[in-house]
Order: sequence, then C-alpha cells, then structure tokens
Amino acid sequence: MEREIKVLQEKATRDIDGARTLEELEEVRRRYLGRKGALAQFIKRLGTAPQEVRPLLGQQINRLREELENLYASRMRALEEEALQRRLAEETLDITLPGRRRKIGRLHILTRTVREIQEIFLRMGFEVVEGPEVEIELYNFERLNVPRDHPARDMQDTFYLEGNPDWLLRTHTTAVDVRVMEGRRPPMRVLSTGHCYRRDAPDASHSPMFHQADGFMVGEGVTFADLKGVLMTFAREFFGPQTRTRFRPSFFPFTEPSAEMEISCVFCGGKGCAVCGNGWLEILGCGMFHPRVLEMAGIDPERYTAFAFGMGVERPAMLKYGIDDIRLYFENDLRFLEQF
Amino acid sequence: MRVLISWLSEYVDVPISIPELSERLSMAGLAVEAVEPFGDDFVLDIELTPNRPDCMSMLGIAREVSVLLDLPLRPPKVDLREEQEEASRYISVEILDPELCPRYVARVILDVEVGPSPPWMQRRLEAAGIRAINNVVDVTNYVMLELGQPLHAFDYDRLRGGRIIVRRAMEGETLLTLDGEVRSLDPSMLVIADVERPVALAGIIGGAETEIGPSTRRVLLEAAYFHPTSIRRTSKRLGLRTEASSRFERGMDPNGPVIASARACQLLQSVARGRVLAGAVDVYPLQVSPRRIRLRPERLKRLLGVEVPGEKIEQILEKLGCAVTRGESLEVIPPTFRPDLAIEEDLIEEVARIYGYNQIPAKMPVEATTQGRRDPVLEIEDTIREILVRCGFHEVHTYTLTNPQVFQRIRVPEGDALREVVRLRNPLVEDHTILRTTLVPGLLQVLSTNAARGTKDVHIFELGKTFHPLSGEVQERRELGLAMMGELTEGNWNLRPEQVQATFYHLKGAVETLFEELGVSGYQLRRGTRPWLHPGRSAELLLDGTVIAVLGEVHPEVARHYDLPLRAYLATVDIEAILPFVSLRRAYRPIPKFPAVYRDLAVVVEEEIPSGEVEKVIAEACGSLLERIELFDLYQGPPVPEGHKSLAYTLTFRAGDRTLSSEEVEELLARARQLLTQRLNAWIRGQ
Ligand SMILES: [Zn+2]
Repeated sequence: MEREIKVLQEKATRDIDGARTLEELEEVRRRYLGRKGALAQFIKRLGTAPQEVRPLLGQQINRLREELENLYASRMRALEEEALQRRLAEETLDITLPGRRRKIGRLHILTRTVREIQEIFLRMGFEVVEGPEVEIELYNFERLNVPRDHPARDMQDTFYLEGNPDWLLRTHTTAVDVRVMEGRRPPMRVLSTGHCYRRDAPDASHSPMFHQADGFMVGEGVTFADLKGVLMTFAREFFGPQTRTRFRPSFFPFTEPSAEMEISCVFCGGKGCAVCGNGWLEILGCGMFHPRVLEMAGIDPERYTAFAFGMGVERPAMLKYGIDDIRLYFENDLRFLEQF
Repeated sequence: MRVLISWLSEYVDVPISIPELSERLSMAGLAVEAVEPFGDDFVLDIELTPNRPDCMSMLGIAREVSVLLDLPLRPPKVDLREEQEEASRYISVEILDPELCPRYVARVILDVEVGPSPPWMQRRLEAAGIRAINNVVDVTNYVMLELGQPLHAFDYDRLRGGRIIVRRAMEGETLLTLDGEVRSLDPSMLVIADVERPVALAGIIGGAETEIGPSTRRVLLEAAYFHPTSIRRTSKRLGLRTEASSRFERGMDPNGPVIASARACQLLQSVARGRVLAGAVDVYPLQVSPRRIRLRPERLKRLLGVEVPGEKIEQILEKLGCAVTRGESLEVIPPTFRPDLAIEEDLIEEVARIYGYNQIPAKMPVEATTQGRRDPVLEIEDTIREILVRCGFHEVHTYTLTNPQVFQRIRVPEGDALREVVRLRNPLVEDHTILRTTLVPGLLQVLSTNAARGTKDVHIFELGKTFHPLSGEVQERRELGLAMMGELTEGNWNLRPEQVQATFYHLKGAVETLFEELGVSGYQLRRGTRPWLHPGRSAELLLDGTVIAVLGEVHPEVARHYDLPLRAYLATVDIEAILPFVSLRRAYRPIPKFPAVYRDLAVVVEEEIPSGEVEKVIAEACGSLLERIELFDLYQGPPVPEGHKSLAYTLTFRAGDRTLSSEEVEELLARARQLLTQRLNAWIRGQ
C-alpha cells in the first residue's frame, strides 16, 4: 500500500500540474481529493491494513492530502491568473476611438463680460441695478443736461418710437443713473448695465444694439481723485495688473469736468501699433456730474458731489479677447460662442 | 480742425517736437487724431469737442499752446488804411430779428481786382482742406481759419437798394445758393436780404446771384454773430453743413466780427488792391454782456480732490483770456470767445485741464460706505442662466430689433396679441422696424444660421426682454427662450441618431429641471396651441391659471421657413410670471435612514389615457409611503391588445421611521391595482 501511495502521489502531482483549465483542474481534484476520490478510497482501505502499519499509513495519506491540496490551490491560482490575463487581453480597447462627451453649455461672452465688470464694481461697494430699455426724453436727455437742440438729440443718432413723441430707445444707460438718483438719498454707488441703441449702420465696429455699463457715486466728499482711483482699479482688474491709464479732458453735457480714460494698448503694451497708433486706447467716458444734473435729481450740488462714468461692453471685450468684428456677438455662430 | 505748423508758429513759438506738441494738446482736450506731412511742413488733424468753438481757428489753437507752454501769444496785427469816404454812405443794415442775429457788421471795399490769391495763401487754405477760389473769397476763408469768425463777401453791385436786411425768410421764397441748388425757404430760416430778395442763407451759405466773380469791383463784407440754435436747425433742415455753419452753430464770439472784418479788409487791400471805406456799419441791437462767475478755491479742491494754489488758478485763467479779480473767492469774467464757460464748474475744468488731469492724484473713496449688491431680479436671472448652462445650453444674444415678417414665418395669425408691436419711428434698415414681442424668431434664426453653416446640433437659450404696447405705455417683459436641435452628445459612433438626438422629452426635462432648481412647483400641464409648434407635440405649463411656459416641437411648416435640417424643439418661459414663485432658499432635509422597497408595476390601458393620469391614480392609492414613481417602459404591440398600451413603472416606497415590511407594500400595490382598474379600466400585466 505504501507503494501504491507513492504511485498515486506521482500520478496526482502530474495530473494537477497538467490541468490546462479550471474545469480540468476541478476534474482532477474530484478524481483524487473528492468524496469518492482516490484518497478517500485509501482511507476506506486503511481498515484492511495490518494494525501496526495503520497509523503510519494514515499519516502518509494525510500528508499526501495536504500536499495535493496545496498543489491544487497553487495550480488554481495559476490558472485563475492565466484566465484573468486572457480576459484582459481579449478586452483591450482601441483607446484612440473618440470619447463620448456630454456637450456643455456656456454663457455668452457678453454676459460674462458684463458680469466681470459687475463683479469688479461690486467689490468696490457698488450696487448693480437695471432700468428700462424704452426711455423717454426726460431721462435719456433732459435730466442729463442735454438740451433740446443739442446735437446728441439728432434723429440721426437716436431711435424714436411710434405711439408717443417722447419714446425712444435709450442711447446710454446713464438714463438709469437719473432714475436711481431721483428716488434716493446719498451716499450711493450704483452700476447699471444693459442694452443701448444708436442709429448706426451695422459694420465691423458699429451695432444698432450694444451693451453699456454705467456707474456713478454720490457723496459728501466724492472727488475727481476718487473717480481716478476707482476707474484705474477697474482697468487693472479687467485688463490685467500691468495696465496703465491716463485721463484726457473731454466733453459730455452731463459732466463737468469731463474726461476720457485711456488704457495702455493691450496689444503692444503702449509702444504704439496699428490698432492704437499712439500706445493708448480709449475705453470710457467719465467726469464729475454737472451740478444741474444733481439739482434736477433733487440732490443739493453744494453739499454733494458725484462722479459718473460710462463704457461700452462690446469694445473692452473685443480688446481683451482680440475679437475683430462686433457683429460676431449677435450672429451667435456656435463656433464663436464655444470659444469662451 | 487742420493746423499747419508753420502757420501756427506765426502766433506762438513752438519750441517742442511735433509728437510732443500733439501729446500736450491731446492731454489738454484737443485730441490730435493724425499728423500729416505737408511739403516740408506738417498738419495736425485735431478733433475738437463741441464745446470748443474758440479752437476752430489758428489763433484759438495758438492760445492753447501759449497757455500750455507758458509762452506769449502773438495775435495778428491789424493796421488798416481807410479811405475818407464812409462805408455808411453805401450801405445800411437793418436787423429785423435781433434774437437770431444779435450783431451784423458790414464793410465796403472798392476797386478790388479779382484774381487768384497769392501762393502762400492758397497753400494755407489747401493745408486746411479749403479750395482756393479767388482772392476775395480766399481772404474771407483765410480770416475765418485764422480768427474763427466766418465772413461773407457779396458783389456790392448785385445787391439792390444799398440795404442789408436780416430777417426770417418768407413762405415760398427760394434762393439759388453757391453750390448751385435752389433752396426752398421757410420762416424758420434766417436770411440776409437786400430790399428785394434773399441774397444769402444767414451763417450757412451765400447766394449765387451776388457771388464774387471776375467782374466784381465793389465788395460788401459781412461779419456777423448769429444765434447758434437757429443756424443748427436750418443747417439740419437743409442737410447742409458748411465751414461757416459748423462754427456759428457752436457759438461764435459776439465781438469777433469787428476785428475779423478789419483783418479781412487789410488783406483785401494787400492781395486784391481794394480801397477800404472808412468805418464799419456795426449794428448790435442785442448786446451780449459778459458773465461774472465766482470761483471758490475750496470748491475746486472739493471737486478735484487736489489743492491748486490760488496764484496758479489765477494765472491759468488769465492766460486763457479771463479777467480775474481776487477777493474772498475769485471773480472771473470769461472772454466772449468762450461761450462754454458759464458756471463755476466750467472754470474748475479749465484749471484742471491746464494743470493736467494726470497731476490729480488717484485715490480710493473714503466716503460713507455702501454695500455692494445685485438687484434681486438680476440675481434670479443669473441663476436661471447658470442652470441652463449646466443643462448644456449655450447662451445667445439676439437683436431686440426685428420686423413684422417674422410673424408670418412663425405662423402667428393676424390679430394675435403678439402682433401688437412697438414700431420704430425712424428705422435705419428694413430688418429692424419693430421691437420684438417674442424670442421665438430670434432663436429659430440662430438654429437656421448655424445649420446653414454646417452646425446642426444646436442647444441654446436667450434671456431677454420683449416689448408690448399696453395702454399708453411700453411694457418690457422678461422672457426666456430655449431651443434644441440635434445631438446632445458628441462621440456618438455606433449609436443610432434616435439614441442621441434631442426630443420633445429632452426639452420638457430641461424645463422641469429649471423649475425644480428655481423652486417653482405645483404647475399643471395641458396641450399647447401656439402656432409655431406641432399641435400634437406641444404643451403648456400653468401655474395658478397663468401660462408660465410653452414648449414643443417646431411646426414642420415653420421648420421649413427656417430651413431647419432636423426636428427642433422650442420652449418659452414667462419669467415675469414665475418671479413671484421663485424660491432659491435651501434647507437641509435628512438623508433617509431606512431602506426603500422597490416594486415594478406594469399597467395596460387604452392608448388615449396619458401616463400622467395613471401616475396620479397610483399616487392617490399609495399615499405618503410612495416616495417616487418612475416610468421605465412604454410598449405597444402583441401581446398588448390593439388600441392599448403598456406602461411599466418602478415604484419606490419608504417610511421615514421604520423599515417597511413587504406585506405593507403588497397591500398598497393591491390598492393601486384596484383603483387603476376602477378608474381607468386598466388591467395589470404579469398577474
Ligand atoms: Zn498698440
């Protein structure tokens, strides 16, 4: 019997090692280690063996079982590993096929720019408001000290509406300044944004509808120096910290003194190029509110002073992103919108 | 204003380079737009603001230079040799409308020899952009460029009656003007007339009949001050802007005519050998009296935020031509050629301008602080935009200006409220004649434009205003529009179009998501009827009886009008109507501690019965333990009988305080089945 055990050991070892698949291995296990397997047969036959060799044989059988079980387990691990490797190999993808993407949406670049401007002034304590796009002469012109015969009131520049001789499409959001001042007491810091309209034939730099951001600050000690500080901060925040600014005298009926703020050219850094000419780009109009404007809004111009400014939104965005045609904003070509 | 440097140098030294000069002028408010070479000389092209008529002359620019560089100004010397004979023997002047013409100065020059003006004069005119005509006309233009005062020369012998009458034109009068046009005049226009007829349009253009020609021997020279508004109105009315009118309409110096006419006479003597009669006929019925303005240095400091020394203020103003008296504050009389200096702030601006805006320090306000905040409605608008962007929509901005043809294109019938529009009184182009009453055409146009350019998958929204005439007012309403067309994802290889393209339900889902995020709930759904939508595939959402949203598939006819290559879907949301219901406040709800029980339920009903009805019945039967109903299958075909459909739902049951037993759930399901059978004549599959 001892010899038989030896033979079995060799045979079983060979079979386990020779199993090519998990199924084959299971078959081998059943054959040797199963309930009716070869080892079980030996145990049964143990009773027929002489009394004195029984313990020894028992020991040998147990040792063999242990040995075969270990062998079986390691063979199984090897086969499992093989099977896994095979599966992984079979499942290999062409990683160069296109990814499946969810399309993401985007805010229009004008909305983003308006918001950016709003954020900058919000941080400086400005309140952001809105007013009507259809205005009346009173707010768009008269209360801003633009008298009836001022060139700015020409039919050429302003869209008027049927139904009421006073109705027009506001030409600037400065009209909102007047509405806000009228109903409140200083101090005030207010920014308004929205559509404005000018009767301009559309071309690369003109659009009959455009956006403006317009702000003012009224208080007991508001000065031109404050105007400069606030607007220089804006320019640096919007165009970058390297931006330099300068103020040139200008003329608006509703401000006195009036100024034009220029920034160092975003393209050449101020050295002078085809876009800017002399290194500077006009960016906004500003000034101290004319005392008549404050007075008409019910604010005592002796006690309070105010600065005001107004800027387009399309142009600064054009400068910032290098957009060369204002009409792109309103065509809404997705290939344009997706760039921002 | 075009400024020839050598000419400018006659009145002031220019010891700095041209670029530096340009810079100094620009920084003082006289924007030098271009520097052009002119022979061996240069011309500065200066863009003037409308408040500076005084700078529409060489002398005016020279004055600015002299102030900026602190150099003496050299106005032209006028020494005139007059004849014995008095001009007043030849001409009398009568001003019938002193409001419109406060001053008229006439001079008479005899024996002029009309011919070309000398080359130096022609060259200067050319540099300024004015064509040389003959020596007499050239002199008037030359003096206008030099001193700013427009002048006009008449052929004295063609004037009738030896009298100049300044009056309003009479109805029906006409005038053949120098440009060869016959102008119809009306009483709003001021004319210069002789005893018989108008001979010039005051301050704008002369008449052809009294024009200086080769045979002219005697000249009547006009130098006047006209009311700016009148000139501007007439010029606008006739669509005629001239060198003269562009000066008068901004306001000239009422004292300019005397000196300018003398200067012109002096030049006519030298270049046309004229004999100047003694004296000017100077009629000045409405004296323009100089203004006195108080300037308080502390006011200046309060406005500018910088202290400018008193002497400096005085010095600047005096150099600009003001008379300054020092006292408690400064008493300033601005020169009559500066009509723009009317109030204290105007003087402060002058001081700041010369002192230099860039010398004023920049500082941040130390005012009483205010809180930065956005108007709450703008916050909601921003939230709406964010939600839609997260849903994959691109924002668009379209014109609020449109035209009535769009209503036809979107099948809006005559008489529909959307056709009640606000019209532009003075439209510029045919495409833009009205204000939009709906966002729909704009969105369709964006789909169309993109499709035409090869982009067929377009998912967009616009948040903007529509405009409606409403009992004598224009009502501006906030509206939201959504449009979907084509594939929602990219990289769709091996997927069928119907698996990836937008459908009615994608659009409905977007609207549902929007409302959920905005906290708008409890709305009802019914079939929609808007003409631009497919009648069988459109819906309206109602809240408190008001339609808050309309959505559906674009009507095939409308899709054809816009050349849409795929089925497209459109929704409009009345933002004004939902604003009162929007709630952005959030509160934490505990995450459920007890497990849910899931059950599937398949119901067969007649095909007309909407799924919404079935859900309602199930919800009623199951009560509050039913957490969620989700449709997972809709099926028609065998073995479901003809005219019927099968709807399969996953029901989620959960109790907040315990684990539900399957008996409880089965009982609820049984109740649901029973109610479905009763109410909807449904039968339950798998039973
Ligand atoms: Zn540049």
